[in-house]
Amino acid sequence: MTGEDGTPLSGLKVVVHASGVAAAYAGRMLGTMGAQVLLVEPEGGTPLRRQPPFLPDASGNESKESALFAYLAAGMESGVIDLTAPEGQARLAECLTGSDVFIDDTPVAAREKLGIDETSLSEQFPNLVHVSVLPFGAYGPKADWKGEDVVIQHAGGEGNLLPNGLAVEMFPDRAPLKIGGHFGAMQGGIAAALGALSALWARPECGGQYVDISCQDANLAVGAFAIQRLGDGSIEHRVERSFRYGGVIPCADGYLEMLTLEQRQWDGLVELLGCPEWALDPALADSLERSRRGPEINRHIREWASVRKVDDIVNAGQKLGVPLARYKTPAEILSGDQEWHRGLFQKVNIDGAGPVDVLVSPFHFDETPLSLRAGPPALDPALDTAREAASAEG
Amino acid sequence: MKPLSGIRIADFTVHNAGPFCTHLLSQLGAEVIKIESAMRLDAFRKPHPVYGRMGPATFDQVASTKLSVRINLKKSEGIALAKRIVAVSDIASESFRPGVMGRLGLGYEALKAVKDDIVMLSVSSSGQSGPDSHFAGYAPLFGAWGGLGELTGYEDGPPVEIRHVMDHTVGMNAATAVMAALHRRRATGHGSHVDVAAREVAASLVGDMLLLAAAGGKPHRMGNTHPRMAPHGVYPASGEDRWLALGVDNDAEWRALANLIGQPELSDDARFATAEARRANSEALDAIVSGWTATQDANAAAERLQSAGIGAHASWTTPEIAADPHLHQRHAIVEVSEPDGKRRAAVGVPMRLSKGAEIGIDRGTPKLGEHEDFVYGDLLGMSQAERKRLEEAEVIY
Repeated sequence: MTGEDGTPLSGLKVVVHASGVAAAYAGRMLGTMGAQVLLVEPEGGTPLRRQPPFLPDASGNESKESALFAYLAAGMESGVIDLTAPEGQARLAECLTGSDVFIDDTPVAAREKLGIDETSLSEQFPNLVHVSVLPFGAYGPKADWKGEDVVIQHAGGEGNLLPNGLAVEMFPDRAPLKIGGHFGAMQGGIAAALGALSALWARPECGGQYVDISCQDANLAVGAFAIQRLGDGSIEHRVERSFRYGGVIPCADGYLEMLTLEQRQWDGLVELLGCPEWALDPALADSLERSRRGPEINRHIREWASVRKVDDIVNAGQKLGVPLARYKTPAEILSGDQEWHRGLFQKVNIDGAGPVDVLVSPFHFDETPLSLRAGPPALDPALDTAREAASAEG
Repeated sequence: MKPLSGIRIADFTVHNAGPFCTHLLSQLGAEVIKIESAMRLDAFRKPHPVYGRMGPATFDQVASTKLSVRINLKKSEGIALAKRIVAVSDIASESFRPGVMGRLGLGYEALKAVKDDIVMLSVSSSGQSGPDSHFAGYAPLFGAWGGLGELTGYEDGPPVEIRHVMDHTVGMNAATAVMAALHRRRATGHGSHVDVAAREVAASLVGDMLLLAAAGGKPHRMGNTHPRMAPHGVYPASGEDRWLALGVDNDAEWRALANLIGQPELSDDARFATAEARRANSEALDAIVSGWTATQDANAAAERLQSAGIGAHASWTTPEIAADPHLHQRHAIVEVSEPDGKRRAAVGVPMRLSKGAEIGIDRGTPKLGEHEDFVYGDLLGMSQAERKRLEEAEVIY
């Protein structure tokens, strides 16, 4: 099934029916690791094609090409299938014949009509891994609840706990804050990819099965430490859980992140700061005392950093073993030496925007970066190919 | 059987990102042998003052369900012992700085020599290669390097540090990559070295914004706003520090909201007639929505909004999550026992599978070296005398 050409999942066939980020991201992850992914779209295309932000065209004006869709669907093939019609359902069945995984984010109540409910698919395709990806899952009292990213993040707990540190110091009365972009939905997507591969692993023993993914569950999972601390007797709050010292530090030309957890890192920081008198206070050699006097320490650090440049501090600090990082802008990441050395980006062609660098994957296998098969698909050109391939295998 | 039953992992990971990966795999049925030492206790076995925890944790989520053995990797016999565990494992996982495993004599080639098809997972801040590969880092630094921190925050405020969710999403990504490598091993018989760079995981979560920037656009911090939807965000609810998250996706949902808040005439208000208009007039719109939400109980309002077809949820605190029937029913929240029998809430594996045994946490946090009878005795066939000698030599230590 997989692995023939060296990419981990080559030979794996995945069909994705996605109107949201989570299901599409699951397909993307499997695709970048070598799976062949067919995106099944309704007439007019998945709504993801119409989601902002939109890429600028050659003259800098906003085009109709969604950056979100281009990122999520890069490397996929597209097939337009009308699942409300019997012919469309038959065409999907052709695509699913010989496929290993079907990922779907249709609300549960709407599935039976489209012929893609759990029972129908398990009867027709006993070896198929059917992955359901929904904001609150397919089972439980909230299975029919909707939720965009901000809703998912706040239902999962982390939303209420942000921001921390400098931002919450500056704006203590503002509404809590979501993580930027589609963090919440993507956690659902990652869990779905993991669920698909886990169920596939068990397939020789138990055949295909149904995998129920909830983006809320996935957000809760990555935020598990809040529950752990609740069990320890402490209820986290975005104000109190700020790092006692360090954190986001404003510098003369941007921001850096500083976090010293180990004694040797603190020692390095003191050296980086030039061994000022306040830092040499013997009481501060004790980590618990430093924790208690965090605000005082931070006042000194911020004053020191405010007249220095981020890169100067980071470069000197890393040599001393102090964990420091620049808050990098997208442009800085795109031109970063590290990122280019790692092959993080690949130029692909995107209609309306031309050749553009697209992030491929955070994984290397055997010292080799992964690659994208192509940019995002135009609507439908792959369907006939996919059907032929499916028929041949079926 | 759980899906990964029969898979064994020699787990050298430390801190959070790597251990969360193997924690997920353990809940899916893999047998994870946590290799640790009294020489360098795991972070959860020590106080963690920067986080305000002044003593060891009594329960550690990411160590639960794992087996614990002691090995002193500073001794050559310790390295040999570690290799014996690797030799009977499918996966070896680690999250030291790049180069450390190699210097210990436990690099990929060395592990391959004792188990030809081993899948080795290395999780690090910047990856195993490149000019920054030696950088030390923790979750907030991954977010800073990868752009996720820069793109999170109030529009007029500073970037925001991404906390342990950053570590754990790295771990969940790593678990997915390891599973892909296992599938390749099944198909080809070949193991592999999987290299997961935490800062690249952070970047991958804002891949659309990076693409926008690559094409000449200017992505920026947007607070709780959305580039298309309005109203969208986190609104005050009745009570102190109570908030309601909601997003209106289309015109029909807007009309439903106008009716729900008792102002149906807003449906015909030209300022809010289309998504573009609502976005353009979001300040006025947010004031109207806030005026309503501020009088509402967050949970009750979310139920009414959902009934009207609008995505919404109260901004939940941790105690609310721990008590939620939906999450309990899904086993996303489970109850576990501490060594003294005390029960507490823990977080399960984020999926439900239709076949096989129940997945999730089987046991609480292991004591240091708790499973040496099984691992050293049953699995490796070591005699009591041999184990005693290695303990006296501070190899099993």
